[in-house]
Amino acid sequence: MIHVKQLEKKFRKKNVLTNLSFAVEEPKIIALIGRNGVGKSTLLKLLAGHLKPTKGQLEVVGEKPFNSLKVASNTILIQEEIAFPQYFTLVDILQQGKQFYPNWQQELAEKLLAYADIPLKSHHSKLSTGQRAVFNLVYGLATRCAVTLLDEPMNGMDEAIRSDFYRAILKEYIAYPRCIIISSHYLAEINHLVEDILLIDKGAITLYAPIHEVQEMAVKLRGNKAVIDSMEIDEAILYRYTEDQFCEVVVFPERLEQVTGVEVLPVSASEVCKYMTDRKGGIDDVFK
Amino acid sequence: MLNPNSQVPIYIQIAEWIENEILAERLVADDKVYSQYQLAEMFNINPATAGKGLTILLEQDILYKKRGLGMFVAEQAKDNIITARRTHTLNALVEELVAEARRLSVPDEELIGLIEKVQKG
Repeated sequence: MIHVKQLEKKFRKKNVLTNLSFAVEEPKIIALIGRNGVGKSTLLKLLAGHLKPTKGQLEVVGEKPFNSLKVASNTILIQEEIAFPQYFTLVDILQQGKQFYPNWQQELAEKLLAYADIPLKSHHSKLSTGQRAVFNLVYGLATRCAVTLLDEPMNGMDEAIRSDFYRAILKEYIAYPRCIIISSHYLAEINHLVEDILLIDKGAITLYAPIHEVQEMAVKLRGNKAVIDSMEIDEAILYRYTEDQFCEVVVFPERLEQVTGVEVLPVSASEVCKYMTDRKGGIDDVFK
Repeated sequence: MLNPNSQVPIYIQIAEWIENEILAERLVADDKVYSQYQLAEMFNINPATAGKGLTILLEQDILYKKRGLGMFVAEQAKDNIITARRTHTLNALVEELVAEARRLSVPDEELIGLIEKVQKG
């Protein structure tokens, strides 16, 4: 469905993506994770054909996305700044979707908007931030595109409606499996929803793995500093915190020989992603 | 119910939930088990995660597969779950219990007395 090989994207002289490769062969829900400004949105725009790659190979549903009608009608990118004609009402926008997307679900769109109390007669430009986010997501789900790209889709929605619409994504996915990539700053919020994690950092893929593997990738050791120091695991340490005799380290468990006398705690997927992309140690180093 | 904040991975919680259904005899030998899509809807999780929970039970011969029909409860499922949990789960819980009792310097007789008290309800 998606094949990306050594993808590079430059803006003027600034390298955003340097050497990015990954592939998606079957329908699944993927979390796209990364620090601010690492190029998550750029990657999604490249996949949707809104941008042209500088270098490398890129194929979505069998074609190069840029200027491809096939990719355009099988791919949808939902982002905050999505451009719907300013003077269109929601009815008009849905009508347009119906004409363009072969799998369009008019009834689903109308029911979801009614559930969220968004009147169809409204103009897109007059919606509140939260309503606009709901409408955009509903539009994205209604297209039933084989490749559905959601860039921070929940931004601006309140907590209650978020959980409703995460469930709507899940139910729609079960009803009609497709490749859904969701970028989010809150992995903990979408943990339950996704199958794989795609972590990008410094313009490339740092990690692409099933979420359950990421959850089992690292462990936290907590205990006496002298005991942990004696384990000789310095080179394996992702994160370290000490206070007097108290010590906490995060390590990859396969590099551990044996553990005695220290507490072993699990590390969540979002923590793993954080430690793998930490820049200058941690926030504590700023206060030293 | 599942606990998304638990330290136990969701797919293991799914497997344990099905095991509990079998122990409670809400699912008995040769009953059809919930599909991964049903479990995904019931527990609001990705179908692949639910599928992984089912796969674990398949590998432990607690469930068996009929091609095209789904998964079913194996003949000896309940006995196998009981044996496995006695050796693993119960042992681990007792180890934890004994460790806590040592930390608190609870004498053995007192600990056993405590267990007996809970047993009698």
